[in-house]
Amino acid sequence: MLYVYAIIIGVLVGFSIGAGAALMFKAPSKQGLGAFRTLGEINGSEGDPISHFGFGLGFFITSAAAAAGTGALTQDVQHRIIPNWAAALVSLGNKKAPDKQIMIKSPIRMGIAGAIVGVVIIPILIGIPQLIPEKISVIAKGILGSAANWLFKYVMPVLFLLAALSASKFVGLWSIGLAVIFQFTSGNSLPGIILGIILGSIQQEKGYKSRHFILMLLIVVTLWILIAYFRGLFTTNVDKWLAFKT
Amino acid sequence: MKKTKNNDVIDIRNENTKVFLQRGKLGSVLDKVDKLFDFNWVFIILVTMLSMGTVLGTFLYVTYGVGAMNEIFVVKMLDDGLDKGEWSAAIGFAAGFLIARVLEAPLVGILDIGGSIMTGVGIGVPAVFLSQEKLTFVITNPGMAILIGAALGIAIGLGIYLIRLSSPKEGLNLGTEIMMGAGNQTGAFLGPLVLIAAAIYNPIAGIGAGIGGLLFFFLKKPIVGGAILGSMLLGIIPAYV
Repeated sequence: MLYVYAIIIGVLVGFSIGAGAALMFKAPSKQGLGAFRTLGEINGSEGDPISHFGFGLGFFITSAAAAAGTGALTQDVQHRIIPNWAAALVSLGNKKAPDKQIMIKSPIRMGIAGAIVGVVIIPILIGIPQLIPEKISVIAKGILGSAANWLFKYVMPVLFLLAALSASKFVGLWSIGLAVIFQFTSGNSLPGIILGIILGSIQQEKGYKSRHFILMLLIVVTLWILIAYFRGLFTTNVDKWLAFKT
Repeated sequence: MKKTKNNDVIDIRNENTKVFLQRGKLGSVLDKVDKLFDFNWVFIILVTMLSMGTVLGTFLYVTYGVGAMNEIFVVKMLDDGLDKGEWSAAIGFAAGFLIARVLEAPLVGILDIGGSIMTGVGIGVPAVFLSQEKLTFVITNPGMAILIGAALGIAIGLGIYLIRLSSPKEGLNLGTEIMMGAGNQTGAFLGPLVLIAAAIYNPIAGIGAGIGGLLFFFLKKPIVGGAILGSMLLGIIPAYV
């Protein structure tokens, strides 16, 4: 059954990513699906099948390693491997084309090529952890688990907060404030910092009386109340808040 | 420049290109299908397909332990929920990205799938369902997972479609460059952290990670892949000694 699901995922994700990547060339007049860095990387290979394939291959190896270790396929599958390998497939026969990227700009061709790539690579990536001995995946989980834990507990909040502080006064203000509040409500300050960056940027651009800012503030407050409620912050004893830890 | 009936500039295809594309029967059929993609609503279908696939991937991860379509450290947030019941980090992190990306998409013309679909739809929304015991069936059942994915995709696609239809292009800075910059830096930290974690786990795994990392360093690839593979290959030795 696992592989049936993998094939379904491959078709769905592959087709949409491929066609979405082709539509990115027409942005902003058409709505594309992908990422700016994906568009830049596709342009970087200039419709040459071998460079497209090589670029995807590097990320395929890292993705396979991550899948083997943790079961996470990494964002590179959708951001890099599928778009670039689909681009390599469609541009195989275009040596004589006046515009090397002409096939990559055709959504249906890219969509079909993406679906083919997806159907092949998703089952492979999902099958890899099944192939390797259990002892290896225990080791991988042990190592990657603690590395990812540090990353998300300490490195990410610090990096995001530093980026917020160097951005502007408003962004820094909201990020610091929400970082503290979300650390004790949600157990991690990162959500607070991200919401702080969004709030601060809107305030800087539109002012605190604009409807955009007020709407976003309402979203943040609602989100915070929901998290606080489900984590039982409101039912915590006051003694716990004032507890003096030694 | 070639103009269609709707006066949209579709492409800068010159006559040569057109001939090149339409050679053969298949080519001309595909070219006709391509015209469909000029309709803006096709975007909704694409987002729906992508969301269905991504949520199905999350279902695979929850059930079989493999298949989540996201970075290791984002999937780790899902793990924290599955192992310890700590869902708020996943929900809060994903919600922030989802909101920012969906609001940004109509303005710049590209929906960033990393923040919106992979993180928001693939991690955040499943985390909401998994955090409530009565609702876990939504993610642990493949049919329901696909349905939820479809519903989310239609909602996001339709939302972006309607914003594009209604609003004049007023720029709204949501600080996504700040988040992108920090996010990209985060990726660079994973390699060194894996190296250190491997050496803490056991010395032989550490040496393996070092060799793998060095190899990838000289191949001018991110060292994280080499560090993971090396630590796994050598780290297994103590288990058999």
